[in-house]
Amino acid sequence: MSERDIRLLRCFASVFPELSPEEIRIVSSQSNGHWDSLSTVTLTALVQEEFNIEIEPEVVPELDSFEAFRAYLQKSDSCRSERL
Amino acid sequence: MKLIEALEVMKRAASEVAGLRIFLACGFTPLHLQTFLSAELLVSTPRKRPEIESGLFGDLVGNIERFEPRGIENLVVVIEWSDIDLRLAARSGGGWRVSQMASIIDSAHESIARLERAIAGASVQIPTVVCTPSLPLPPMFTTPRTEESPPEAQLRCALASFVEHLSQQPGLRVVNTQYLDELSPLAGRYDLKSDLTSGFPYTLQHASAVGKVLADLIRPRAPKKGLITDLDDTLWAGILGDDGAEGISWDLEHKSQMHGLYQQVLGSLGSSGVLIGVASKNDPSAVKSAFEENNLLLTQKDIFPFETHWSRKSESVTRILKTWNISADSVLFIDDSPMEVAEVQTVFPDMECIVFPKSDYQAIWELLGHLRDSFGKSAQTEEDLLRTASIRQAEIWRELENSSENLADDFLKAAESHIVFHTSEPVDQRAFELVNKTNQFNLNGKRFSEREWRNLLSDPEVFLLAVSYKDKFGSLGVIAVIMGRMYAGKVNVNSWVMSCRAFSRRIEYQCLQYILDAFGADEIAFDYAATPRNTPLRKFLTTLLGSPPVPGIRLTKDQFLTKVPRLFHLVEENAHV
Repeated sequence: MSERDIRLLRCFASVFPELSPEEIRIVSSQSNGHWDSLSTVTLTALVQEEFNIEIEPEVVPELDSFEAFRAYLQKSDSCRSERL
Repeated sequence: MKLIEALEVMKRAASEVAGLRIFLACGFTPLHLQTFLSAELLVSTPRKRPEIESGLFGDLVGNIERFEPRGIENLVVVIEWSDIDLRLAARSGGGWRVSQMASIIDSAHESIARLERAIAGASVQIPTVVCTPSLPLPPMFTTPRTEESPPEAQLRCALASFVEHLSQQPGLRVVNTQYLDELSPLAGRYDLKSDLTSGFPYTLQHASAVGKVLADLIRPRAPKKGLITDLDDTLWAGILGDDGAEGISWDLEHKSQMHGLYQQVLGSLGSSGVLIGVASKNDPSAVKSAFEENNLLLTQKDIFPFETHWSRKSESVTRILKTWNISADSVLFIDDSPMEVAEVQTVFPDMECIVFPKSDYQAIWELLGHLRDSFGKSAQTEEDLLRTASIRQAEIWRELENSSENLADDFLKAAESHIVFHTSEPVDQRAFELVNKTNQFNLNGKRFSEREWRNLLSDPEVFLLAVSYKDKFGSLGVIAVIMGRMYAGKVNVNSWVMSCRAFSRRIEYQCLQYILDAFGADEIAFDYAATPRNTPLRKFLTTLLGSPPVPGIRLTKDQFLTKVPRLFHLVEENAHV
């Protein structure tokens, strides 16, 4: 597991304290009844703070699972590397 | 604190029982502010998990007006410009035309007046904390941002007047905007994207700062009571023994103004009731001359006691603590010598000991701010202003206590003592403070939150007596508080405390005499409980009862009358019991 995944896992664990790391890796708004709009806003704020990035509001509805956040961060990293 | 840290603090406390219910009234979505506030409260009191309720989005004043304090411990009000007039918010499209400015100012005045009424009304019922607008005003004015515009100034002026009124209300604490400015620079506070997308206008960093300040005001830590300072290279620049009284300084001319500032702050603290003592390795006569011959900003009258000799500093500190009769954790020790500081710290691990940073201007400035934080309190009482004088008097009384009974009688009679029994009000800060800080003459050590105290006193069966004392040596102000119930002809005393400054004057006997007479009671029941520190109270009850007290003890009028010594106080009643 990459360092980025570990940090993302920590963000999710603070919003969904009842989930194990294994459960977090497959969690989505569909599979978890506790995932509501407040969870999305909190997760977005946490990820922005933790990774020092700005997530555009139009992207937020697509960030509906751990995997979606992970993919977003990966893409964001690639874009940053290309710019450099 | 970062948001993830705040959430983790809350996660760790999830299994704790909810112990503090707070109503957070704000016009925006409280979101992360609620998280930071909870986490900061948990950091200060880990085992008391807060439960924060909030009202309707966009209706701050309505939320306060509708608020009912049932079961809630604190009301927290966070105001933003949008609550003053909706047109001051980025989310609204109300218009910023020049022609609308007068209407915005008028409406702001009306909203502020309504908010003031609502907050003042709520704060009578429940301890209230208020944070006034902390976000910048929107770019709606016609001058460049470098130049203040009249409408902008009018809005700030209306707000300043509002803050002034609120800060004078008992039971209400207002966030100091200057302090918030230090924690959270203005340019980093507003998150436009978050405001427009989720209705939460603060950056995380600002939400964290506001949460911290609010938590500090909800749970203010107990202020320290005394400060012990060194003299050489601390209270003044120079070594008295080497340089002589004319060689020490604390002014601009000698580039030692920082010592003068330190003296000024100590003078300010002393005048507000903080005890100031001196522990210095010096010749006592030289110190006396230095104070008499020089025009120090801190005078001899501000200081009691002086411990000036060549013994260890910890011995001086021990004697000062004994004179003040307070514990080491209520005292701050300041000395320029790291070795002296270490020696005192070793003997008193609970005391905060600080090395005076004599050549570091910025560090001294920060130390002065730290002193304000350590000793500051919401309100000064009359008793605060009398404290040093009454401790000087206590020395005389302590000596008297060891004299023969006849001599004591003569002295007490000649003291022209005067006791007044007042019916106290729930918002009487002195009574509340005395009950919550007295350890030695304390019936059971029970402490109360402001909310518990007010609830208790709203019961018509409950009485609260504040006892003030003066004699020819001076006034001690309110020195005792008795709280109890009167029902079916019986008196039950639930709380009884008396300041140690008032010992040896037989005031405790007069308190019981008053209760028996005023209530026409034949017996008093006490909610007594032994605590690690209430030995003086225990000894007093043992004298009356003939054996050590136990929980639920009762004292009959006959028992009292056989033991009461002669009382010489002139008693005045300002109570209706």
